[in-house]
Amino acid sequence: MKTLPSRRGAMTAGVAAALSLALAACGGGSGVSGGDATGPAAVPSKSAAVQDALSKPAELTFWTWVTGIEKTVARFEAKYPNIKVNVVNAGQSADQYTKLQTAIKAGSGAPDVAQIEYFALPQFALSKQVVNLSEYGADALKDKFAASAWNQVVINGGVYGIPQDTGPMAMFYRKDIFDRLKLEPPKTWAEFAEAAKKIKADNPDNFITSIDPGDAGGVDSLIWQAGGQPFKTSGESNVSVTLDSDPGVKQWVTNFGTLLKDKLVEPQPGWTDEWWKGMGSGKYATWLTGAWAPGAIMNSIPKTKGKWAVAPMPQYDAATPMNAENGGSSVAVIPQSKNIPAAVAFAEWLNSDPEAVKSLNEEAGLFPATKVLLDDPAFRDVPWEFFGGQKINQVLGDASAAVRPGWQYLPFQVYANSIFKDTVGQAIDGGGDLTAALKSWQDRITAFGAEQGFTLSNS
Amino acid sequence: MTAVAQAGRSTRGRAAHRSLKRTRRGKSLSLTVIMLVMFAYAVLPLFWLLANASKTSGDLFSTFGLWFGGEFNLFANIDQTLSYNNGIFLRWFGNTVLYSVVGAGGAALLATVGGYALAKYDFPGRKLLFAMVLGGISIPGTALAVPTYLLFSQVGIVDTPWAVLIPALCSPFGLYLMRVYAADAVPDSILESARIDGAGELRIFRTIALRLLAPGFVTVLLFSLVATWNNYFLPLIVLNTPDWFPLTVGLNQWNAQANSGTSGAGDATYSLILTGSLLSIVPLIIAFLVLQRFWQSGLATGSVKQ
Repeated sequence: MKTLPSRRGAMTAGVAAALSLALAACGGGSGVSGGDATGPAAVPSKSAAVQDALSKPAELTFWTWVTGIEKTVARFEAKYPNIKVNVVNAGQSADQYTKLQTAIKAGSGAPDVAQIEYFALPQFALSKQVVNLSEYGADALKDKFAASAWNQVVINGGVYGIPQDTGPMAMFYRKDIFDRLKLEPPKTWAEFAEAAKKIKADNPDNFITSIDPGDAGGVDSLIWQAGGQPFKTSGESNVSVTLDSDPGVKQWVTNFGTLLKDKLVEPQPGWTDEWWKGMGSGKYATWLTGAWAPGAIMNSIPKTKGKWAVAPMPQYDAATPMNAENGGSSVAVIPQSKNIPAAVAFAEWLNSDPEAVKSLNEEAGLFPATKVLLDDPAFRDVPWEFFGGQKINQVLGDASAAVRPGWQYLPFQVYANSIFKDTVGQAIDGGGDLTAALKSWQDRITAFGAEQGFTLSNS
Repeated sequence: MTAVAQAGRSTRGRAAHRSLKRTRRGKSLSLTVIMLVMFAYAVLPLFWLLANASKTSGDLFSTFGLWFGGEFNLFANIDQTLSYNNGIFLRWFGNTVLYSVVGAGGAALLATVGGYALAKYDFPGRKLLFAMVLGGISIPGTALAVPTYLLFSQVGIVDTPWAVLIPALCSPFGLYLMRVYAADAVPDSILESARIDGAGELRIFRTIALRLLAPGFVTVLLFSLVATWNNYFLPLIVLNTPDWFPLTVGLNQWNAQANSGTSGAGDATYSLILTGSLLSIVPLIIAFLVLQRFWQSGLATGSVKQ
């Protein structure tokens, strides 16, 4: 879902990493994946099995931490009364991945279907811990989803999850502050820095935004938005990490290095008491984050009602706008499932049926991944009272369309994110050298990847 | 402090009384300051928790942290916490009580029986056993959580209360403590006379040793109670179904939920987490206040010379 992955307790992330290490050492050779040996010829029969499964009795367990999703699941059960789905919240993000991997390793106790964030999906896919849905005909769903969402579930030519929600980045800003200082929302990063100086001049204690030194996902997204692609995986085991040479990374370093040096952006761990107070008081004038943010703002600082608005992300080159994703989840099927066809059918319905996606958006508060909703005027043209009546979904929907394709996460991103805080995070927090810190992050990622049996390169 | 002062008085005699009094006053002033600092250190977080648990979610991030918000909303928050998500909080509360009472009670009982046996019976392998217990203390429980999971998964008790209860029953530290305690608290002469009077070993344990060991038992009980009540990592690993979560894991789940952007359709869970945390420490405070008496008497018993 809309998580900032690295915000999880460092301990759980560490354990997840330790586990993934242990598990990867065991390799994918456990033979759990029933679909491995099946050739393309088997595809039609398997997709037929998926269709049939909807009318046969089945019981599925679904691990997810999306609150309110029970309502969408209830709609599924009403429509297909033969299938019973147990929704279990087994923990969030790294917590859940730790459990999922231990259960897969143990050979029992894993659910049939599980929520997995995009950044973690390659890890599960390459170690064959999730079912390749291509074998069950999931490719047919491609056109139903926004390209930015679908691209994130295709790994090595296979489809390893059905996109559930997305987090195209946008700039949430305090309209009251911008209006008072007679500022327009910045269209480029240069304008962003100018606006930041004016906000600083107005009150030296205020900042245009904050950056979370522990949030690897947030920085990944900003690098993505700067045109970077520092992580590349080809085949099953060739990984390239170019945090020290990628032009997009350099662009981000120049931009944020200056903003941090001039004290225009404050390093501040997100989601803390202090941070929310800053968000509420107007200490931070913007929040650069995923499209899932409105719910968080409305729930946590309800007293700022009417003061917020949304604008597209500032650009490096206004002529060629680029955007990135921040957060978002897919729904994957676990090979341990005793009824994979039913599990696939459920995952597909849940995330692509028009009734389901409408419910996910309205009843579970997820930002959609499907075109049917993103292009729907009824979705786009709703005025949001909290945002002073702005039709924010128009901005966010366009932000989704502008996402730059081609970004890849590491096949051990969960670990990489867990050590971000000790390397790049230190430099962000203490005003250190970002380039050197990114190099040391790269070195640790490279060393870890090699230990895991991947072939690493830095070019 | 008093003990130190008394010892000083008796050894140095009356001649030094006057000057001693002056140094004592100076000492107690600095001690008082240190104590006040420690007091603030211990109480401020609790006060912060109380103050913030009584705020409305609107006031939570818009009013001063170390004081109460505009309106006193504690009871409404408690009400909301107890009823949120079909009253899952009460279920977690019950689970924690179950794990703590059965786990800590069992651990204290086993440690008492085992410690007594190690201290008072001479049998082959006694030293080896004791060395293994000492080794057991030095391995942190967190390190054993994953192996424990794999073991339990083989037996098929993962995701059941047993997976939390069984490890809670084993307290190497408690066993060590009870062995040391039993060695001194139960005089061999009493055991011998009881044997001469014809009492069986079980009867000696029940009627004589257990009573002498009671303060030690309570100490171990308190230690295990706190450890089980606060246990987080093991239940996090071995439990998947929220219905079996203890408070620690449950509250963390709420926290993760609040920190993840939207938490569904309009739930202000930060207030629930704070109120839930406040409620979750109340029983521990009560347990300490009630059992403190036994603990103190236990410490005093040790100082009496046999």
